[in-house]
Amino acid sequence: MTLDSAKADQWTSVILFALGAAMLVGGYTMDRLEIRQIHPASIPGLVPIILGAAMMLCSGLLFWSARQRAGDARSTDGAPVVEGSVKNLAFAAGYSVLYAIGLVGWLPFWLATAIYISVFYVHFSWQADATNRSRLLHAGLGLAFGIVGAFAIATLFEHGFLVRLP
Amino acid sequence: MDALASLSLAFQQFATGEMLFHVVWATLLGIFVGSLPGLTATMGVALLTTLTYTLDRDAAILVLICMYVGAIYGGSRSAILLNIPGTPASAATSLDGYPLARSGRAGYAMALATAGSAIGTMVGILLLVLLAPPLAEAALRFGSFEFFWLAVFGIIISGQLTGGISPLKGYIAGLLGLMVAMVGSEGIHAHIRFNFGIQELNGGIGLIPAMVGAFGFAEVLTVMWRRKAKVVDKPAERDRIMPKLVDLWRYKFTIGRSGVIGTMVGIIPGVGEDIGAWASYAAARRTSKERDQFGKGSLEGLTAAETGNSAVVPGALIPALTLAVPGSAPAAVLIAALFIHGVRPGPMIMIEQPEFVYSVAVMLVFATIAIAVFGLFLTRFFVLVLKVPREILMPLVFTLCVIGPYALTQRTFEIWVMVGFGLVGFLLRQMNYPMAPLVLGIILGALLDKSLRRGLTLSDGDLTPFFTRPISATFVIIIALSIALGIPAVRRAISRALDSLLRRQKEGMTDG
Repeated sequence: MTLDSAKADQWTSVILFALGAAMLVGGYTMDRLEIRQIHPASIPGLVPIILGAAMMLCSGLLFWSARQRAGDARSTDGAPVVEGSVKNLAFAAGYSVLYAIGLVGWLPFWLATAIYISVFYVHFSWQADATNRSRLLHAGLGLAFGIVGAFAIATLFEHGFLVRLP
Repeated sequence: MDALASLSLAFQQFATGEMLFHVVWATLLGIFVGSLPGLTATMGVALLTTLTYTLDRDAAILVLICMYVGAIYGGSRSAILLNIPGTPASAATSLDGYPLARSGRAGYAMALATAGSAIGTMVGILLLVLLAPPLAEAALRFGSFEFFWLAVFGIIISGQLTGGISPLKGYIAGLLGLMVAMVGSEGIHAHIRFNFGIQELNGGIGLIPAMVGAFGFAEVLTVMWRRKAKVVDKPAERDRIMPKLVDLWRYKFTIGRSGVIGTMVGIIPGVGEDIGAWASYAAARRTSKERDQFGKGSLEGLTAAETGNSAVVPGALIPALTLAVPGSAPAAVLIAALFIHGVRPGPMIMIEQPEFVYSVAVMLVFATIAIAVFGLFLTRFFVLVLKVPREILMPLVFTLCVIGPYALTQRTFEIWVMVGFGLVGFLLRQMNYPMAPLVLGIILGALLDKSLRRGLTLSDGDLTPFFTRPISATFVIIIALSIALGIPAVRRAISRALDSLLRRQKEGMTDG
């Protein structure tokens, strides 16, 4: 299943339908502020109810059109993913999330950033067939790049924009 | 006369050493950002917004506008040399730019793209100066009923035009944006909605962290996922890097038409530069004498695409300034930046700060002059820029995505929001959901919510004024037509009806 396929659309439509239903119910059960004697047409849940219903309708239409597409011989299901490397994507996503919500705040910002930049650079430019010496040089270059990059960004925000870094 | 005086005053105000320095670095940075596939104008403006908190109002807005103009222009570099649009706005540029580069005319293609961009922006600036004041005046007649329909119109049109073959996905993206806008304290009774017990959500989800995530982090992931592209090597030795005036004169109608089309597309809420470029390109191909050359290295096609996408920039600022409704995704960030710097865009702008629209026009003129100068004289340098490896650039970009939103409120919660929007934004993009309606939804959610409930309160729960007031009725008709035309069965039925009508007419003429 590719991300832009009829099957993916069917699954998404189910999730979106649930989201719409949740918003509709959330809006309907929301406090109507009767105690404040507000106009009944200005209840805070009104627009969420409408949006929830609209999302349920649109997701229903998406499901229906995806089913039609799935039955169509020209459907793109099963077509190879041409965009790129899933391994690269998984590393970039996982490592970036780890940095943003794990390292930042746990380590001083400059240190977390230096580690992030260095490892990112070394990982994506690593050459498996290189000699040990050139690998060592490469890792050193990555470390230097990380330290310089982190120092520049931290200094800019801390002293230039007076931000108390995390 | 007032307009000319305001423009001349604005020129004097911005022709200082400090402001020109800002023009130079921000435009260069914009071209750099736009040149690199994966870094878009929206991302550049969003990230730079976080770096302009400490600048004064005029300098901050100048910097952001230069980034916007520079990035839209810069996208043509990678479109021509890599066949990968640096920004989505340059997708049409690559159709003719890349074949020109492969035939050894990369320098000339870039020169022509520069001239087209500069002229397109100038056409847009002229229309901005002419159209913004009357539009703001007309918007003063808008009440809650009209603003409600304006918000709905923005989401529907944006969804329709950016959703590609499936407007449904555009509508869904818009609805998702509106849903995000429902989180936090609402604007009439200050009741807190959908905070799930998380105190940080009481104030709602910030536009800047959401946009930095959806356009920054999502793009970092996209770039790292895709395979590396190869730059078309050096331009041929006899290749020109200055546009020939004779070529510009030959395409004068194409340039003028593309400038107007681009600006008009810009005025439509949430549509953006890519649609401006495609619409101009399609119009040029329909009317061109050399239409068989389109897609194979047509100078006219390249000029139309570049003029069209650049003219969208001033066009997108017209509704952004006068209605607080962005014409494109970068303009949405600009609206947020305007609020941060104490400018209140909307119908009152021509009353509260009448000089500001002219200041923006002058900022655009400076940015245009800068892209023309840099574009023509730094061609070789920008070829080098394209060779910066992604593994050097992307970790730096992501670090800025993390620290930028944090700097606004100094809460780590903003980083989580950015990460969440980045991951969801990446998935949605891969599934062909356009991002512009989502952004527009976040921006217009509060307006739609407040206008509907305020209108209903004014009419004591009666829906009739939403359909009977003249401006509201016009919006309703346009919205209904747009939705109907988005349904394939309706489009097919109309086309069949037109065909049979034409056939009957033809038969009638033959019989006669």
